[in-house]
Amino acid sequence: MQELRELARKLLQEKQVSAILGYEHGRMGTRPAFVTDVADCERLVFDHRCVHNLAAYLSPRRTHVAALGRLAVVVKSCDARAVAGLIRESQIKREDVVLIGVRCGGVVRDPADARPLSADNVAPRCVDCEKREPALADHLVGEPKPAPAGSGSRDARLSEIEAMSPDERLTLWTQLLAPCTRCHACRQVCPMCFCERCIAEKTQPTWIETSPHARGNLAWHLTRALHLAGRCVDCGECERACPAEIPLGLLNRKVARVVADRYGYVVADDPSRPTPIGTYQLDDAQEFIQ
Amino acid sequence: MNTKRILSRANLDALIRDLIAAGTVVVAPTHSSGQERTGVTYGQVQSPDEVLLDGPQPIRPLKEVVFPPTEALFRWRQEKSAVKIEEVPTGFKETVVIGARPCDAAGLEVVDCVMGWDFRDELWFGRRQSTTVLAMACTTCDESCFCTAVGLSPTSTRGADWFLTPVDGGFEVDVLTPKGEAVLERYKARCPETEGPAPSRTAGLEQQVRANLDVRPDRIRGWLETHFDDPLWKRVALRCHGCGACAFVCPSCHCFDIVDEPDGADNGTRRRNWDSCQTALFTLHGSGHNPRKDQTARFRQRIMHKFSIYPARFGEVLCTGCGRCVRVCAAGMDLVSILAEIDRAAQGGAET
Amino acid sequence: MSAPVTVGDGAFEPSIVAFVCNWCTYTGADLAGTSRILMADNVRIIRLPCTGRIDTLFILKAFERGADGVIVSGCHPADCHYTAGNYHARRRFAIFRELMNFVGIDPRRVTFSWVSASEGGKWAEVVNGTTEQVRQLGPFAMYPEA
Repeated sequence: MQELRELARKLLQEKQVSAILGYEHGRMGTRPAFVTDVADCERLVFDHRCVHNLAAYLSPRRTHVAALGRLAVVVKSCDARAVAGLIRESQIKREDVVLIGVRCGGVVRDPADARPLSADNVAPRCVDCEKREPALADHLVGEPKPAPAGSGSRDARLSEIEAMSPDERLTLWTQLLAPCTRCHACRQVCPMCFCERCIAEKTQPTWIETSPHARGNLAWHLTRALHLAGRCVDCGECERACPAEIPLGLLNRKVARVVADRYGYVVADDPSRPTPIGTYQLDDAQEFIQ
Repeated sequence: MNTKRILSRANLDALIRDLIAAGTVVVAPTHSSGQERTGVTYGQVQSPDEVLLDGPQPIRPLKEVVFPPTEALFRWRQEKSAVKIEEVPTGFKETVVIGARPCDAAGLEVVDCVMGWDFRDELWFGRRQSTTVLAMACTTCDESCFCTAVGLSPTSTRGADWFLTPVDGGFEVDVLTPKGEAVLERYKARCPETEGPAPSRTAGLEQQVRANLDVRPDRIRGWLETHFDDPLWKRVALRCHGCGACAFVCPSCHCFDIVDEPDGADNGTRRRNWDSCQTALFTLHGSGHNPRKDQTARFRQRIMHKFSIYPARFGEVLCTGCGRCVRVCAAGMDLVSILAEIDRAAQGGAET
Repeated sequence: MSAPVTVGDGAFEPSIVAFVCNWCTYTGADLAGTSRILMADNVRIIRLPCTGRIDTLFILKAFERGADGVIVSGCHPADCHYTAGNYHARRRFAIFRELMNFVGIDPRRVTFSWVSASEGGKWAEVVNGTTEQVRQLGPFAMYPEA
């Protein structure tokens, strides 16, 4: 952590950036921190409670953050995928942000979780993480860490659902989406949901009803999952932010699996790789087309 | 009016069965369904076994019972050149809430002020009138609770028709309102008169909550009224995602959006849905101008509405200290720390 | 939401919406008509300039509003009037189809096809085949009581 703080101080002192976007310990656990003064760099931390995906703050639509000026952002390898996505889709320029990569040994699910990291509280995505440091980074801090302990396939529930009949699945998803109040927290915390005008806000005509009934909720969640095809970085923030405990990760992971199986594409922190939607191959599989 | 009675757990279960048998909708804290959900919510129960009275605070607010996330206001149908309006049937079902948290029950009373202010909201009051609230003193709290800081407490009876205090073997019952008396009349056999004082299981909780946040709402209001442009807003709002989850879990937030949903070319439904001032769309004008154009302005608005504007208009803080906003916030905004900081600033200012 | 359509003896007749591209399938459907090929009349055709224009929301909306089945059809790969519209559509539909299936919209209710302007016969097959398949599946209750 001292390495991180010293780097942050240096970046501010040399005026390479106007602010550091990292993590700090708040009263309720770790949370995002915006540091503009050299003296405040002492607040910066990185530990297994640094769950948040800070790339969400880089969207140019967050004018109050953009007003700070050039930022240095602390990114784990999962977060770096989101930064790569923003660069790939022309939301930010690579040179407009300084990336402080951190070597990560896994994070917990809840930033307020005061227990040490263990198989009981590790975020499921961390167990499968292939490389625990970002390739997309200007600096890399922290000691290399081993893969976190944890077991069980994240996709066991996916397989369970796939084994159901269509009617059972529809009943299940209607139930799972029923408590949705359309707060759109899932969208707001997602780094890849940066549209200035979300399709859910479009009227004349209204494609996705804003009411939190079965019709509106199904349309919203299906559309968001589809719009994230090949773009979702699997940071888990949407599911964490949802106040209604909806397992959004299931939808996003299903779509990610389809994209991986059909097009061999897995989201990585390389901005030069094009997304699968918006590109095509002449010989794409079309077994489902008569 | 204050008749103390003892309700044993067995009699409470029998009371619940009686109510259900009589066709009353019984709402209580209960486990959410499905393996994906672990939180407790206020839900309709079909048997006393589903009622969870000593679990954690329900993750959704009680306001849902009188103010659903979506409701139809009326339906329209065009017939030739005339439009027929059909009021959506608004018979309100007799509902009894058992085990409402004091912060949730108080929230209903606080929102009554605006719902009956310049226009009487028939749907809100219709449901309020047909809902009897049997609130219960808290037996647990956590570091997000701060009801004592806004004039309430784990034993506050605001908004309650009955107030249940856990004692050994059951609950001490305070019947507080005519609506509560009416329920008592029908089910008197379940709650015999008390034979003597019984020990309370809620001692010490108030101190714990006070330790989380000890501020004065009037001091906070004074600071808010004079610090609209304070740099605190810009600093604090940086991490806010503007998601509105806080508003949607809040017992006292009540803003709504009205939409028309066509079902066909000539008919449809007008609905009202929960809304939140934290979204950019909330104050976006048709011209494109947005008077609250960034999260700084929007977050400031939330705090000011709750702790300055609503109190100025109605003499009530629009917050019951339930702590859900603190627990649910993905960005760790932590209203408790923010209020503490404002209260400190307010005191600092007074000394100079 | 409309009640399931029944005729005479009360048998269920599926309502099917077809989103087709103007240049190939629409013309092919027209050929089927002028050739007097007998087809089920359960299908309502909506003409788009290209399958690339077909948003997945159209499919969802059709089901929302009472359709029991949906057909999506356009030009064969390499024949798209706009060069690559159908290639983009192909990926989009492939993914959405699996997503729909995952949430419980039976994939047998949605038919995707490439029908060219000269394939009147094929269009008739798609129409008749889909109608029969959806008739077997029954009316689509998209919003089961939770």
